[in-house]
Amino acid sequence: MTVKVRSSPFGSTTRTRVLLALSLMSESYPRELARLLEAPLSSTQRALRSLERDGLVAARSAGRTRIFRINPRYFAFSDLMRYLRRLNEPEVELAQRVAALRRRPRQTAKPL
Amino acid sequence: MHVGNALRRHGIHGVLTGGACASLHTGGVYHSVDVDFILSGRVTQAQLDAAMAEVGFVRKGDHYVHPRVRFYVEFPRGPLAIGADHRVHPVERRSGTVRSLTLSATDSCRDRLAAWYHWNDRQSLEVAVAIALRNRIRLPAVRDWSHEEGFEDRFEEFLAAVREARRRRRGRSWRP
Repeated sequence: MTVKVRSSPFGSTTRTRVLLALSLMSESYPRELARLLEAPLSSTQRALRSLERDGLVAARSAGRTRIFRINPRYFAFSDLMRYLRRLNEPEVELAQRVAALRRRPRQTAKPL
Repeated sequence: MHVGNALRRHGIHGVLTGGACASLHTGGVYHSVDVDFILSGRVTQAQLDAAMAEVGFVRKGDHYVHPRVRFYVEFPRGPLAIGADHRVHPVERRSGTVRSLTLSATDSCRDRLAAWYHWNDRQSLEVAVAIALRNRIRLPAVRDWSHEEGFEDRFEEFLAAVREARRRRRGRSWRP
């Protein structure tokens, strides 16, 4: 059994980490989040589903991919974002990992 | 309406929201296959199953289906809110002996506008306009709320769309 080294105010550690990551990324998909958080894909998907049921995140489809974001229609959205920003302050490593993700466009077929 | 009535009979406080509520306020101009009720108070799964079974719905995963109707019923987690506004006052709608709690026309219009504001969903704008055409909407309240949500510009766009739809409707009715 691993020792829990982080607080998880949103239930499981994965739920909390997913919310923290989404607040930094604006939007993401399960595989990207799982990679970023170094969490199993299945538990990331489970966390996203339960957060979606709670109304904290919302998803849209892009082809076969579900793109998730913090739900801007959640009644406490602005307070939630403020809280997540505060929780993200000590999460330097997570912020660095997010910063390393390429988000700007890249022309089709252009080599990396 | 019958689902809302069954919930009420079982002592469950459920308010019809979302697309199905908008469908009621547009007189069926807009259709939705998912019917969303927001529940409040303490409700057990057994109570909810019993209320839904009374109108022929059975639970399948996290929603309820009926063998003979196309739509399904869901109970998204509350609170009942439109954007950041959780001071929402549902209204009772009657049809014969059937009574159900729904969003008011103004709140249903705001609910659709929220989808347009936050998801950029133009179909929701069209539904909000359709609601405004068929009902008396408290536009100053919608304007204030839009301002609070940070979408005053989009409210003006909505208003322009309502005016244009009214103009077109008048034009149609004048034609021989």
